[in-house]
Amino acid sequence: MSAAGAFGALSELDETALFGAGFLVNPDLFPARRSGETWGTREVALGLPGGPYRFTGLNSAQEEAVRHRFGAYCDAPAAPSEGVESTLFRASEADFRTFDVRGWEYGLDLDAAPDSLRLAGLRLVGRLDWRPRLLGALWTPDAGGQPFAGIFENFLRVLTAYRLQELGGAVLHCAGVATLDGDRARLFLGRSGAGKSTLSRLAQERGATVLSDDLNALMPGAAGPKVEKLPFTGDYGDTRTPAPPLPLAGLYRLEKSADDELRLLSRAEAVACLLACSPYVNADPHRRDGLLVNFMHLRPPAWSLRFSLGGAFWPILDRWQAPSSIPPAS
Amino acid sequence: MASTVIDPASVLKPARDIRWRRIDGEAVVIRQRAGEVLVMNEVAARILDLADGRTPVSAWIEILAQEYDADREALERDVLAFTAELAAEGMLEVDPIEAGKTTDGL
Amino acid sequence: MGFEQVLQKTWRENILFSVLVELTYRCNLDCFFCYNDLGLRGEPLRTEQYLDFFAELRDLQVLHLTLSGGEPLAHPDFLRLGAWARELGFVVRVKSNGHALRGEMARRIRDEVDPYLVEVSLHGANAATHDRQTRVPGSFDRLLANLREALDLGLRIKINSTMTAWNEDEIEAMLALTDDLGVPLQFDPEVTLRDDGDREPLSISPSRAGVARLFAVQAERARAAGVTGAPFAIGKGGDDGTMPAPAAKHCGAGSSGVAVDPYGNVYPCVQWRRPVGNLHRQSIREIWADSGALREIRDLTVEAKGVVDAYGPAGALMSFCPGSAAAHGNGDPLRVYPEALRRMELLGEVFGGEEERSAKRRAILPVVP
Repeated sequence: MSAAGAFGALSELDETALFGAGFLVNPDLFPARRSGETWGTREVALGLPGGPYRFTGLNSAQEEAVRHRFGAYCDAPAAPSEGVESTLFRASEADFRTFDVRGWEYGLDLDAAPDSLRLAGLRLVGRLDWRPRLLGALWTPDAGGQPFAGIFENFLRVLTAYRLQELGGAVLHCAGVATLDGDRARLFLGRSGAGKSTLSRLAQERGATVLSDDLNALMPGAAGPKVEKLPFTGDYGDTRTPAPPLPLAGLYRLEKSADDELRLLSRAEAVACLLACSPYVNADPHRRDGLLVNFMHLRPPAWSLRFSLGGAFWPILDRWQAPSSIPPAS
Repeated sequence: MASTVIDPASVLKPARDIRWRRIDGEAVVIRQRAGEVLVMNEVAARILDLADGRTPVSAWIEILAQEYDADREALERDVLAFTAELAAEGMLEVDPIEAGKTTDGL
Repeated sequence: MGFEQVLQKTWRENILFSVLVELTYRCNLDCFFCYNDLGLRGEPLRTEQYLDFFAELRDLQVLHLTLSGGEPLAHPDFLRLGAWARELGFVVRVKSNGHALRGEMARRIRDEVDPYLVEVSLHGANAATHDRQTRVPGSFDRLLANLREALDLGLRIKINSTMTAWNEDEIEAMLALTDDLGVPLQFDPEVTLRDDGDREPLSISPSRAGVARLFAVQAERARAAGVTGAPFAIGKGGDDGTMPAPAAKHCGAGSSGVAVDPYGNVYPCVQWRRPVGNLHRQSIREIWADSGALREIRDLTVEAKGVVDAYGPAGALMSFCPGSAAAHGNGDPLRVYPEALRRMELLGEVFGGEEERSAKRRAILPVVP
């Protein structure tokens, strides 16, 4: 069915009611189950937090693209009884609308139901199903190479966010920076433009290791919350080398400023900040409450950080050593 | 059903509604709208073969005359009558475009 | 020669006449009892391979071509393949769940594929029951709306329903619904295993009482319609909708018909999942002529007739399927399985005397204009 034909068809229907209509020629045919024809028989298991994330149904070019993109994360042992299983299926070019992507900010359409999540994006259709354990499926027409790696990562970001939420944690839009001694990690939260990349640059200039300037995981640990590195970065961070988790030194809500100031956040402010910075799951009415419960249990020490480009805020952070729980609200 | 005049220059093809196949010389014919199935003899099967939407009836008669070693005049009469019957039954339809074209060599 | 004789001839002389093609296992619904083997893997047939395959089927004088799946409309080249099938002169059936059968798609199917029949599935008389099966909320309402639209467009529709524990109390209501639409409804009283042997679908098999009531309702409707003797269309039809013809074989599986999965595996029929060849390695002409497995299948259908005949005239009421038998009985296609025996017993109770049981009519299911 040609895209041109589809545009005509869509105008006859209530387009706003059709999930995936922005990306798909015929959203009526959105897969309702994890089925179809796979690309091949190759498998790869990624050792991200919450994993292994095992993907089956790849062809050799796709497997190579994933291994090239995620490096040592692909050395995770496959343990079918744990982690998350996902299958890669073929889609066709003809399944997707074509449009000019210049100046278009990449986004995914998500549709949450009590026991499933549908995803639609550029050359990507996906499902997460809880049956009752989490299972994933991805359909794409890309047979390998960098374009496939990008599509794969877009799906994996969502999958990881949901997986970690069900394990008691969360994926957060934040810059993750290890302390200078490398013993702990700080998370700097903020949406686009808040200063995550700027702060990451300042950290790196100072000699600190940046875990990622885009997405990091906050997980429960025996001795308090811990930071887990994720291979999802912007301009700073390593996408190919896993690292052991680090105890959380502190969580900071970013704000660019001419001055440097640190203010302790109330518990409610902290939870609100965390929720706002939890991509995908925070918009899911069926699992957002689970996220809230996670944050209530994690009780990370949280501050509001107004920082200047001079970097004078680092000593302020170093002075405030994080206790293992948030002090009572001031 | 309205009668259809068939002459040697007529060009016909199976009606859009018709599907058919040969089983051992006979034709199994499905009329889709009616949900009806018919089994037709060898001659009918041959005519359905020849009704390709390009070849005029006159050419069929030449071909059949050779295949059946039959009297040409009688064959022409029978073929025209049978074809008209099939057309009247809605199994064949005249192709007006092809019928208007010249048929050099035939 | 009448059509029944033609069918007998195809069975007797192994003339390939009907092919069912599962174009894809992608589906826009998620029916609990779906029989597809979703774990099956292989190299999918490319569109070019399908085009050549269909042309070869035409050369073999195959008449019936059924496009199925999964959901055949979900194949990215469904319209192209359907149009090609139409051009090659097949009697095309489309087995769809109907969920995407609307708007531009429905019009193009009518105009470009021009199918003899579109067969859709109904799982209940109301949204609660139907959507429970499909596991897609809103699918019942969508199906009814789409059916009305499809009928307005002039598409010929038939509705199939598999009887389950979930819908067995809604038989009359389902018939009333389809009567209102003016569309025939054919019930299958048997839930089948998944093609990988998974027995989970059997957990919603209808009860004996439910099946008995279905047969009684159908018998009453047939009588009310003036049909004498044993009603037609209660037995298990072939993939092409035709009813069994008397012959030396029990059925046309592998003798006049085959089924093909998305990976090119060829089977004797949609139910009998014993591969007899693969289109990546051999043409259908070669498989049809040379497959040793097909020869075995043909011999087995002769033996199956003996198995059924051993039950006397009542045996015909079993609607015995060697493919189902093989699935139920650890690969033995000649072992009579419980559902077949139950059908024989219940139909016997409904039809009473031996004379009635033996007077079974065979016909192509009529299409309601």
